[in-house]
Formats: sequence, C-alpha cells, structure tokens
Amino acid sequence: MSAAVKPLPFGPMATEAMAIETSGLTKRYRRGAALSDCTVTVPEGRISALVGPNGAGKSTLLRLLTGLARPTAGSARVLGGVPRQDPAFLADIGYLAQDVPLFRRLSADDHIGAGAHLNKRWDGASARARLRELNVPLDRAVGTLSGGQRAQVGLALALAKRPRLLLLDEPVAALDPLARRHFLATLTSALAEAEGRLTIVLSSHLIADLERICDHLILLAESRVQLCGDIDDLLAGHTVLVGPRKDTAALERDHTLVHATRTARQATLVLRLSGPVIDPAYQASDISLEDLVLAYMGAAAPAAYADLSAASTISTVGEQQ
Amino acid sequence: MSWLVWRQYRTSTAITGVLIGLFAVLLVITGLRMASQFHATFGACLAAHNCRFPADDAGLVSGWLGAVVEFSLAVPAILGMFLGAPAVAREAETGTAHFAWTQAVTRRHWLTVKTGWLLLAALAWGGAAGALVTWWSGPRNAIALSQFNPGTFDIEGIMPAAYSVFAMALGIAAGTLIRRVLPALGVTLGVFFAVRLVIMGWVRQHYMTPVTAIYNITMGNIPLPKGAAWVLGQGFRGPNGPLAVPGGSQVPMVADGFPAADIPAACRAYFTQGPGQDPLLPCLSSHGYAQYITYQPAARYWPFQFIEAGIFVALAAVLIAVAFAVINRRDA
Repeated sequence: MSAAVKPLPFGPMATEAMAIETSGLTKRYRRGAALSDCTVTVPEGRISALVGPNGAGKSTLLRLLTGLARPTAGSARVLGGVPRQDPAFLADIGYLAQDVPLFRRLSADDHIGAGAHLNKRWDGASARARLRELNVPLDRAVGTLSGGQRAQVGLALALAKRPRLLLLDEPVAALDPLARRHFLATLTSALAEAEGRLTIVLSSHLIADLERICDHLILLAESRVQLCGDIDDLLAGHTVLVGPRKDTAALERDHTLVHATRTARQATLVLRLSGPVIDPAYQASDISLEDLVLAYMGAAAPAAYADLSAASTISTVGEQQ
Repeated sequence: MSWLVWRQYRTSTAITGVLIGLFAVLLVITGLRMASQFHATFGACLAAHNCRFPADDAGLVSGWLGAVVEFSLAVPAILGMFLGAPAVAREAETGTAHFAWTQAVTRRHWLTVKTGWLLLAALAWGGAAGALVTWWSGPRNAIALSQFNPGTFDIEGIMPAAYSVFAMALGIAAGTLIRRVLPALGVTLGVFFAVRLVIMGWVRQHYMTPVTAIYNITMGNIPLPKGAAWVLGQGFRGPNGPLAVPGGSQVPMVADGFPAADIPAACRAYFTQGPGQDPLLPCLSSHGYAQYITYQPAARYWPFQFIEAGIFVALAAVLIAVAFAVINRRDA
C-alpha cells in the first residue's frame, strides 16, 4: 500500500439513520466497572462486529441495549428510543444471549409456539422452514440438541420476531467450523431478506468469521471503546510500517502510534494515520482486520500481558477517540 | 403467555395431580371405613342424643394413617418450594429469562400471568387437600372434639388453601429476590415454617379475647367447655392472679392439685394431709382462691379460620408486591 491514504472519517453521515447511539454509557457493579463511558454509533442496515477480550464489556453493552440491564450513567438510544419495558420496543429487538439459553425440556416447536403467544408480530412458519432446511429436529427437547442446532434454534427464534435490531452475544463460540458456517449463512440470508431494515450486532472472538460478514466494528477492551466505525474506513485509516528500530518521535508528531513490536533490529508499528507517511525508511502495508484488532487489544492490555507477545513492546494508546 | 406457563408447568401439574389423587384415594377408602365404624360404635347413642364426647376414639385412626394425614401440614410448603421458588429463580439461573424478557411482553405482564396461575394452582391444590382432610376427619372430630387444637386446626377447613397461597407467594418472592433455585427453596421452607410456627404458637390465641370460666375449688375435675373449644390453660388462681403450680410429685397438693404451699394463713388450720378437707375448700374460696379454665369457645372456630386465612392472604399480597417491585428494578 502506498503511503497516501484516505483520512479517517469524521463520523457517520448526518443523513444516515442510527440504529444504535450511545453516549457515555457506563455500567458499574459492586466488583467494578463492566463498561465505562461507552460512546458508539451503529447506522441502520449494518452488521457490526463487537469484539474485545473476555470481560471487556461486550455482553454488558448488549444487555444495556436490550433494556435487560439499566445503565449506571450515560444513555443509549436504540431504534430511536430509550431501551425500556415496552412491548413496542421489545418487538423490534431480537436478542440471543450467550450460551443460547432455552427451555431445555421444551422442543423447538414449543419455543416457536411460545413466541407466537408472546409476540404480536411473529413469523413462525419461516422459522420452522429454516430449521427444517438445516435438519434441526423440531419435536425434540432442545436440551438434547447439539450446540450448533441449539444456536440455530435460538437464531430462528430471534429472527421470527422480524426484528429491526438483532443483538447476538457470542452465538458461534461453541460451534464447530461447519455449524459456524451454517449459522453465519443463515444470518447473511436474513440480512439480505430484510433489505436494509435489519441491523445486526454480533459479538465474537472469531475475527476471520466476522471479517467475512461484518461491515462495521466496535472494539471494546478494558471496559472502554477502543474503536468504532465502518471496517473499510478503519482499515484505510491505519497502516503497518516495518522498518529499522529507531526513534518514532517524528512519526508520532503526525500520527498516532497504536502499537509497536520491536526486535533487536526491526520495528513493526501500527499507526493511526492522519495523513500520508513520508519516511522512506519504512515500508508501509495494508493492515488486516485481525492485526488491527490485536494492535488495539494489545495496546489496551496491562503491560505484563502485552509483553508476552513480543520481546520488547511499547504500548501507546492515545486519547484519539 | 398463559400458553407458555401451561407448557412449562404441565409436568409438575400432572405430578401434583397424581400425588393429590393418591392422597384422595387413601383418604376416601379409610374415611369411608372410619365413618361406618363410627356409626357402628356410636350410632345408638347418637340416635338417643346421649353420646358423651370427647370419648376414646376406639381405635378409629391407626397411627400411621394419622401420621399421613398430619403430613398434609407440609403440602403448602411443598407447593411453595417446588412450584413457587423456581418460577422466577430457575429462569434467571438458566438464562431463559433473557429469552422470555426480550419477547414483546413486559416483565410485569410475564410475572402477572405466571403468578396468577401459580396462586390459582396453590388455591386449588391446597383447597383440595383441606377439603379431603376435613371430610375424612368428620368422625374423629365428632369423637375427640379436637379440630380447634393447634395441629388439627391447621390441616382442616380453609387453612390449607390459605397457607398454600402464602407459601406460593413466598416461593415466588424468594426466587425473584435470590434468583437461584436452591437457596430460594431453602428460604421458602425456613420462612414458611417460622411464620407458621410463630402464628400458631403465639399469635393465634389472641385473635379474640379468650373466655375464662371460674369455679370454686372442688375435689373433682372442673367441667370442660362445651364442644370443640380450644383450651388455652387451666389451673388455680388467687387474689393476685394465677398460681404457679410447682412441678414434681413430692409437692404437697390438696384437692385437684392445689399447691399446699399457697394455702393462706387463715385457712392453714383446716389443712390436714389426706381426705376430709371439707372446711378447707370453702375457706380457700372465701379468700379469693378459685379454679379457672381459659379457652376459645367452639363457636369461634370459623371466625378464627377466616382471621388466620386473612392474615396469610395479606402476607401473600405483600410478598407478591415485593416480587413485582423487584423484577423491574433489578437487572436481568
């Protein structure tokens, strides 16, 4: 990649409707903050990847967006309203909690029947059709199904609401690669069917999967937002420089050094760009989504943790947000 | 919502139904036998209106059967523990609350329907157990006149239904507060029996001012109150209130257990060991000593049932209100 890159976007277009807008969203428990000062936006129609290490606050953020939990401070607007106990609001939210909690002794059919009684808008027929297509037995207790089948049941139930916002908390974590592929295929076809009316936020550790289907990214670490934006813009706004190990003060004057890995002779720098890099000593290359995520996660991690990854690592995460 | 409640609870409903059914079969079979035995033994005196009750129950109730019937004391607690406590706690513990509470019904609506059906079930099962035991106890009550006594009062009439409603509400509230099935179950059991014990042992006798009958001290027993009264206490009293009767067989007594040590100085001259204390008893009476019996008359049986049922239903209402206050305020 050349040294000339696009500037970082200055936030979403004013004309775009926002499915999610949070401002300083904070959730503290007795044991500490689960989410601090979280300000993110997700435009309507996106499929957003919510990534971050364990305990970064991903589940907390999703639960705050559904209204299952209430914030300690800050505010959230979801589909134009505050998350609340209101049938009209709840009807528009599809939520699949971590580990896909379902009534173990009830069958998929029972769940679909329950959904029909609990929702005014309910598309049980297509949920059944989708599960039949995937050979998920409809009449067996879901407790006896495989993890992949259960996840499909959970997703089918969430989609049967015909939600405008689908929040999925690590739905593929326990699935084998094939089941994962099926799950993500279901998700993308649902997104296509909805014709831009559906927004999805999907948390996962599997960045390769996310890269295939997501166009938006929210990166949490240490209970704070590290990155939020369209993936294309984020990738364009960062670069990897490989060059001699030398003082980076000049570079850091113009750009933000996210993360650096140094060996005895060589340095690999992840930069957040604010213009072209003009230093022939370095070779610039495109950054992959995985490297970008790891750079920010490494930067936010405690020093001892970050040191495990490289012989000598300095971490600077600016207050660029 | 009702559909989901029914789907979730139909197994437990079936199990409870079978258990109550077995209990019913046992009580109907033994109850019919007991009734015919009762008429065989007491038919003649009943026809002549000269039965003297309370009488010996003439082996009407075998020991194990009495124990089984007394076990119906636990029916409300069982309903509260196994149907009430998991109602919210299991859903919170297994995470299914996240499914239920993100459908297009509010948590309050969800809890209203669930609580409504469970309270109705408690009323039905408790009422059924109470009705069975009441019918079964008919002959025994006629003979022993014990239905007002603690332990019997609690398993007859409307009490089982009222206790069941309370236990169910307690289970639901404990589960909503604690959100874990086993601790909620334990708390339900503990609090239920604690409240029952306190009310049975210390509160119930004060629903209405007890009646105290006073008799002159005689050599014989004082007459018991009519019918199935609940005797709270009896003994002797002097000008300064009831006398403490010292225990032990070596304590000198006169008449039907009047402690010799309490004989006033003025009457001491008449006190001789052994029979022939005729001048002593009138002397005690003239100095303000008497025998008394304190009791709740038999006619207060139903008022007491309704007062106590009212207390437990009111407690249940408070517990349900707590559950509603908590379910929206706490995060899921």
